[in-house]
Amino acid sequence: MEYKDYYKIMGLSRDASQDDIKRSYRKLARKYHPDVSKEADAEAKFKELGEAYEVLKDIEKRAAYDQLGANWQAGQEFKPPPNWDEGFEFRGGDFSSTDNQKFSDFFSQIFGDHSAQSGHSRRQSHEHLRGQDSHAKIHIDLQDSYHGATRNISLSTPEMNAQGQVQLKHKSINLKIPKGIKPGQHIKLAGQGNPGLGNGQPGDLFLEIEFNSHPLYRLSETDVYLDLPITPWEAALGGKIKIPTPEGNVELKIPANSRQGSKLRLAGRGLPCKPPGDFFVVLQIVLPAADTEAAKAVYAQMKQSLDFNPRQSLGV
Amino acid sequence: MSFNETIQVHAGTIVEDDQLTLEQLCNTCAVDADWIVSLVDESIIEPDGNEIRSWRFSGISLRRVRTAQRLQKDLGVNLAGIALALDLLEELNQLREQLKSTGSYLNKQHAPS
Repeated sequence: MEYKDYYKIMGLSRDASQDDIKRSYRKLARKYHPDVSKEADAEAKFKELGEAYEVLKDIEKRAAYDQLGANWQAGQEFKPPPNWDEGFEFRGGDFSSTDNQKFSDFFSQIFGDHSAQSGHSRRQSHEHLRGQDSHAKIHIDLQDSYHGATRNISLSTPEMNAQGQVQLKHKSINLKIPKGIKPGQHIKLAGQGNPGLGNGQPGDLFLEIEFNSHPLYRLSETDVYLDLPITPWEAALGGKIKIPTPEGNVELKIPANSRQGSKLRLAGRGLPCKPPGDFFVVLQIVLPAADTEAAKAVYAQMKQSLDFNPRQSLGV
Repeated sequence: MSFNETIQVHAGTIVEDDQLTLEQLCNTCAVDADWIVSLVDESIIEPDGNEIRSWRFSGISLRRVRTAQRLQKDLGVNLAGIALALDLLEELNQLREQLKSTGSYLNKQHAPS
């Protein structure tokens, strides 16, 4: 078990006041809140912060933690000194069992596993209660929505065992991804949530859909975008070129005198929802390098033949 | 309570196609109906239907309610603050998406082909 330096996590010195602790928590909680921050480790940092605050905001817990001494290093192998908690009394029930399960082994070792005493485990056996609904996020590929798919997903759900302790259970299910599903939509699996009590029905499982980012395509609502590199002569003269789409390659007609950044629309070729989205091709004109005599000659020829000033609007 | 791996394929329903009633939304998020009503009053979520009894909530509402719960619990934000935060977060996400696509284009332009 590793020692956790709660003061360091909160960016505070050991003599910080309770007000400092509260202010620091508020500030860092806003910074690392998983709904706000897009940093990859935001969720882990937020949990760590919550645990640190749970201890330091409570004068009794903080005093007990301080009693462990200041000489521990974060991450150091930790064993509580004998009788370290003598003379401390913790008020139980400060946090719910569902909160407790997110805390570290270090926390549980010092402050105990309160989930065993939670009210849930004391329910009368003759009660029949419907199980709670559970929620998870799953990531799918763009193609899964285009074609529909069956994907194996693994889920971890907190589960109360017969002793009333909360444990993480892992299960894997094969999920049918309906064709045309959009990011942010939820799939409901009836009866796949938490088990009920007694003869109560199990809850439902709600899966929120997110899309993995795709190397070629990007998504806006139900519309799919492709950046298409084209040559200056394809843009100027027009022509038919082969482009990839999630449904396979198609021929696209480029109109003459197309401009950089122009959008061409293939109606109904976006996500196959009801109504279907559109597929947009964004033209990106790529200039050939003037790295051969022949290429230089062509550029020189253009300079001579074309009366072209792209800076006209700048007045120069 | 068996948590062995299943080989069964689960199909499920899309919440948008089969919207939630007020009771279902409360169950799903483990909150009181009063709190949901206050979210509707604050225009944080917008159900279809005029009367409470005929309210139907979309998957977007479900996501917003769950985010609202976290913001309230973790940051102590009040309803007006939640409404503002959710709107700003949505705008921020859109901008991040746009930045990502512009960024990927710029990178491609600068990368030697």
